[in-house]
Amino acid sequence: MTATQDKSVAIVGFGVAGFNAALALRTAGYDGEIRVFSDTEGAPYSPILTSYYAGGELTAEECHPWSQDAIDALELTVEAGHPVTELDTAAHVVRTEAGSFPYDKCIVATGATPTSCGFPADCGYEPLMLRTMDDAERLRNALTEPSCRRVLVSGASMVALKILEACLKRELDATLVGMNPHILDCNALPEAAERFERGLLEKGVHLRLGQTIAGVRIIEDASHPLGRWLEVTFSTGDVDEFDQIAVAHGMRCNLGFLAEGALETDCGILVDDHMRTSDADVYAAGDVAQATELVSGTKRIIGIWKSAAIQGQCAGTTIAAELAGAPIPPEGRFAGAISTNTIGVDGTLFMSAGSIELNDSREVEVREGDDMTVVYVYEQCPGDDAASGPHKRLVGFNITSDTDIEGSVAYDTGAMLTMRIEQGCRR
Amino acid sequence: MALSDNTDSALEPQGATPDADGAEKPRLGHADAYWRFAGTCTQCGHCTKACSSLTTAGLTLGDIAAKMLAAERDAATPEELIENIAYDPALVQAVRGCFFCTSCKNTCFAHNDVCDLIYNARCDFQDLGLIPRYAWSSVMVDEEWDIFKAYRAIYGIGMTDLTRHVETAEHDAATDCAIAFFPGCSLAAYAPDLTREIFATLEELGGKTTMIDACCGSPLKSAGFFDRAEALCDRNAAEIAASGAQTLVCVCPGCANAMRTALARGGLDVSVVSLSAFLVEHGYQPKRPLPDAPLFLSKSCQDRNGTYLEETCAALGIASDTPSVFHGCCGAGGAVSAFDPARQSQQADDKLSFAPDGSLVVTMCPTCTYTYAYRMMENPRDLTNKHYAELLFENQIDWPRVFAELQGMYTGEYGPWLAQVFA
Repeated sequence: MTATQDKSVAIVGFGVAGFNAALALRTAGYDGEIRVFSDTEGAPYSPILTSYYAGGELTAEECHPWSQDAIDALELTVEAGHPVTELDTAAHVVRTEAGSFPYDKCIVATGATPTSCGFPADCGYEPLMLRTMDDAERLRNALTEPSCRRVLVSGASMVALKILEACLKRELDATLVGMNPHILDCNALPEAAERFERGLLEKGVHLRLGQTIAGVRIIEDASHPLGRWLEVTFSTGDVDEFDQIAVAHGMRCNLGFLAEGALETDCGILVDDHMRTSDADVYAAGDVAQATELVSGTKRIIGIWKSAAIQGQCAGTTIAAELAGAPIPPEGRFAGAISTNTIGVDGTLFMSAGSIELNDSREVEVREGDDMTVVYVYEQCPGDDAASGPHKRLVGFNITSDTDIEGSVAYDTGAMLTMRIEQGCRR
Repeated sequence: MALSDNTDSALEPQGATPDADGAEKPRLGHADAYWRFAGTCTQCGHCTKACSSLTTAGLTLGDIAAKMLAAERDAATPEELIENIAYDPALVQAVRGCFFCTSCKNTCFAHNDVCDLIYNARCDFQDLGLIPRYAWSSVMVDEEWDIFKAYRAIYGIGMTDLTRHVETAEHDAATDCAIAFFPGCSLAAYAPDLTREIFATLEELGGKTTMIDACCGSPLKSAGFFDRAEALCDRNAAEIAASGAQTLVCVCPGCANAMRTALARGGLDVSVVSLSAFLVEHGYQPKRPLPDAPLFLSKSCQDRNGTYLEETCAALGIASDTPSVFHGCCGAGGAVSAFDPARQSQQADDKLSFAPDGSLVVTMCPTCTYTYAYRMMENPRDLTNKHYAELLFENQIDWPRVFAELQGMYTGEYGPWLAQVFA
């Protein structure tokens, strides 16, 4: 018998972080039990692709990056369809409605859930959202309903724009409402946002920026194919009519199964560079974990796919080594990450990376081209030693391009600048 | 289905290990890399649209990883493992048609590392005998003879007087050098006078200089000999350390990347700088005025973060927003010419097509200069083509002579010898 054959690793959540944790355990030679807890029956999907499904560009099957053969090869025990009700860290047990399951090590990879916070909760209409395959299915059905012509998208985030993209793919009349003066307020500086907004306007999107939804009334109407329409009152006092409303008002970590104080948390679960939590036998990875963000050097939730995958791999590699009593290999260390975002909406491209938060030590440089705007955010650095001296480093950028062509200069520029930010942080 | 023309006739499986039952279970040597990659790929398909090879294959990068793993999973014998890969033309196309230009990586939302994936796949292809010998026999740059060494031997191009850290009949081994100069294979072979002029300038500006007269290993990596490429770079790094140099000056961004990695791997505190950056730092003034023709900069795909392009602009005294084309390879990368020469030509044509008529295409990597020069000879157009060093120094590269000499190697008295050495 090997050192780990009688061990059990629990993975709570079967998204990108959970899947990568499992595969890292196996590729690192761990041969014990891996018990995966998933609240859905299906295979892991990519939340990035769900808008393509809603917009008709991909089939549901194509939203699942890994084949059943690949999943089977990992020899997992999957507890599907039963959400975890409690992680009892003291007893080393995962509890679900189907029973209690002991573990030696546990990885929390439960991700995040979109919130409709700010949407009139008592209006009687459940807004469309976008995260899970179920969300995407509902959105797809709503957008393909022949009577659906006018859609209101509330929020100006990446997710909101992905919903907007799905609406445009369906050739629907789309309106975007956002509380801030510009779209992508968390990711874009005004110069880049404005160019993107111009692109949206040219595509017929109606923008209602600097305002919110103040009220929604369901107007019963037998003559309407849906039997009703939605009367929306905006904070400006304007009133307009829509067939559907989609909401993207941010995300919240899925931590409901954790007893208060069970693990050290902030916005998410705080982890070290091996994805260890405050409990020696519990790890966290993905959108639920607060790990090292390189630009700030602080612990933050880096809600991007690649980061979740690597964090899962780090957790799996670390656990495999610890259970085997072996040194942790370099792959078990999360070297930190920066935030990166790319979105194309009907031919207009936006990319960003790093941090665009402005303060006294930062300066902005804007380069406007015929078809592309590049916004650089530099930070003045005092220099660690006499040799390096004061210098400025790139800490963030935005690119907005009027065209979205794979392999183009815009993509190359985005990749170059992303690399420079990372190299500057690691230097 | 017929076996691909690109496979060796003698397929000797090497990737087999006995399983728990004692039966021979075929294994790929680099399966972990495919798992690692597959875990980070969303299968969104953007990479496919960014690359003509992936488009032809109809595969995403994640598909490559998945297919390699499936080939291993579905194989009961080593022979089946080979057949599962060799009989999959899309997979062969995707693995052997890669220029390593990273256009797909740049387009990938996650910036997944295509180079790591394809280098590992090439290694497995090599282990399984799926890359024919003719595709790499002349570029085994860690052996006694390769095409560059043969060219230099035949045409009497020696640099031993400049390799001061190596003891020769002419001098002792120097250990007090300030600068190590890494011209790379193409420049040293095809532009020896320019190489010497650069060397003399480095010494004048930076102090005692030696030349690392070796390859960065790129052809070995393309052929699937990754370990040998790294070993070669490690030997180069050891030479640099022995010379005492604290600065390594590279002409080509690809050489700089490889040597920077090797020096870091060896824990050596040597600063790797581009020739352009070195010249700017030392106040060098170009020895000739810039040509009147509009300049059009061809960014090397090995210049991953674009700093080489910016430093070259600074050295030439031109604005960094001078028209330039970034995306894609010149066609020379990844030994694609040995797999699909037409695609290599098309790639060069595509990249040159961005340059307006009458302009001067300025290249960063000497191999790009070579590739464009050859393409322009075959398919003339209203463009000229120079390496950036030609704009900074007196000596120029005489490509018609070089191409004539290269052709003459095989038809002249050395032909039979070359045919035997590179068979």
